[in-house]
Amino acid sequence: MEINIFTSAAFLLLVKTAVLIILFFYVIFALMVIRQVDLMSKTIITTTSKILSAIAIIHAGFAIGLIVLAWGIL
Amino acid sequence: MFPAYVENPLNCRFEGQDADEKILLLLRAHPITNLNWVIPAIVLLFTPFFIPAVFSFLNLNIASIPPSFGIVFLIINFLLIMTVTFEGFLHWYFNVYIVTDKNIVDCDFHSILFKNIDVAPLRNIEDTSSSMGGILNSLFHYGNVFIQTAGASRNIDFHSVPRPHHVADFILDEAHKLYGN
Repeated sequence: MEINIFTSAAFLLLVKTAVLIILFFYVIFALMVIRQVDLMSKTIITTTSKILSAIAIIHAGFAIGLIVLAWGIL
Repeated sequence: MFPAYVENPLNCRFEGQDADEKILLLLRAHPITNLNWVIPAIVLLFTPFFIPAVFSFLNLNIASIPPSFGIVFLIINFLLIMTVTFEGFLHWYFNVYIVTDKNIVDCDFHSILFKNIDVAPLRNIEDTSSSMGGILNSLFHYGNVFIQTAGASRNIDFHSVPRPHHVADFILDEAHKLYGN
């Protein structure tokens, strides 16, 4: 009988745990990017700084949203 | 929209700029240097299209993967593209070289939370030189400018800036203006 590892519950649980851990670190990274943009914008003050800060915040929001999504659907 | 060579830029200031200090020249690396992150981003963008081929090569059945996992991996892939693109752009946009009527400022953001700002007064400039070598440099006319400063202060280097010979000459001219010759 052929065994498919992709349908094994243990394997899927392992993948889900790995994905959630990676996403947790990704959220930390995304929050650091917000701080990075803030530091950069204070060093070089241009009209684009606010747009870049907004992109960094939206990016972090997506990362947090993805953790919730992954937790829910995996 | 995001130029790499701007004379007398408007709406731009930097940390530590004096009230009477005027920015004469704002430089970034030439836009073509952004290929360093544009190419990986494009490769990442097309990665999902090659996944079925990789699975069939390894004799694995992609249909057996639950669709929810596929969706999450796709979103993670696009987040990675976003990260590569955004970080690459930030690195290019904020790593600037500024020539004011008093100083030369080199702002370097080496990694996510490490910044290095070198400031050299124009009166300390002793010598400038420029170099341009390589196919891309010659095609797109960009190169490095080396600024030698007096005393124990660190020399300042501008990397991959457009019109390097002109920039070197411009800096030396501004330094000469301070000395009145």
